[in-house]
Amino acid sequence: MGHSAYGIPISWFLTVGAMLFAIGLFGMMTRRSAIGMLLSIELMLNAANINLVAFGAYLKMPVIAGQVFAVFVITLAAAEAAVGLAIVINLYRNEQHVDADKVTAMKG
Amino acid sequence: MHLFGQTITGYQIAFVCLAGMTVGAAVMVVLMPNILRAALFLGLTLFGVAGLFVLMNAPFLAAVQVMIYVGAITTMIILAIFLSHRVMKVGFFQAIYNPLLAAGVAGLVFLFLFITVANSVWVKGIVASGPSNKDIGVHAVARSLMQPYVFPFELASVVLLAVLVGAVVIAKEDAPGGS
Repeated sequence: MGHSAYGIPISWFLTVGAMLFAIGLFGMMTRRSAIGMLLSIELMLNAANINLVAFGAYLKMPVIAGQVFAVFVITLAAAEAAVGLAIVINLYRNEQHVDADKVTAMKG
Repeated sequence: MHLFGQTITGYQIAFVCLAGMTVGAAVMVVLMPNILRAALFLGLTLFGVAGLFVLMNAPFLAAVQVMIYVGAITTMIILAIFLSHRVMKVGFFQAIYNPLLAAGVAGLVFLFLFITVANSVWVKGIVASGPSNKDIGVHAVARSLMQPYVFPFELASVVLLAVLVGAVVIAKEDAPGGS
């Protein structure tokens, strides 16, 4: 086969990343609920993480930076989820729904 | 194992199983009208991604993924759903807005990415044909977090502190009677 013992070319991982990103994009565009949009964002962040780690691992001289960046992405994803869910809870308390299309209080 | 004259390694079988689980669960995340089920499928997706990390020689990252994503973020999302959604049956088109157009756009984006990946000719000698067998263990990650990446590391801790304080302030119920 010409590959290493793993037999997995890098394009397989990149394709899975592309699939996850496209699915996340679909969810981002279709979901009405704000929490549904947050779920889609997590999908897209994971797609980016897969690409980072794949390139880090597949280099001839493997670099640790891919994994370190992925750790930072996970950290910031946790932060983003905390703030986003706090906003969702506050929104529900004020408006009794979390439909992103109906929140127009700040529309000009 | 041999199939159609090709050698199939156990890693390839593991990859196909994990990738199928990840992508299948991700499709369920965006198509489930019931948001609680979507969140549970998100947990499955994140678990599959952790498995893919193991295949890429990143066991530390896989552990981080399971602990933070599957353990913490999914739990937090499910709690937020309990606090903000009335549990009820929702129809597909009540929860999902304009799926055909979005599927077209997302499909085009995927096609673009896939063609780019499939036609890429990696610079010779830079990208290997498999993940390196060199062990990138937790020691190496810890060393590089503490030496070259110590500034972003500390910055991340400050960001986390600010975010947690901010989340508490935003989600806190206003004192009765106002301030």
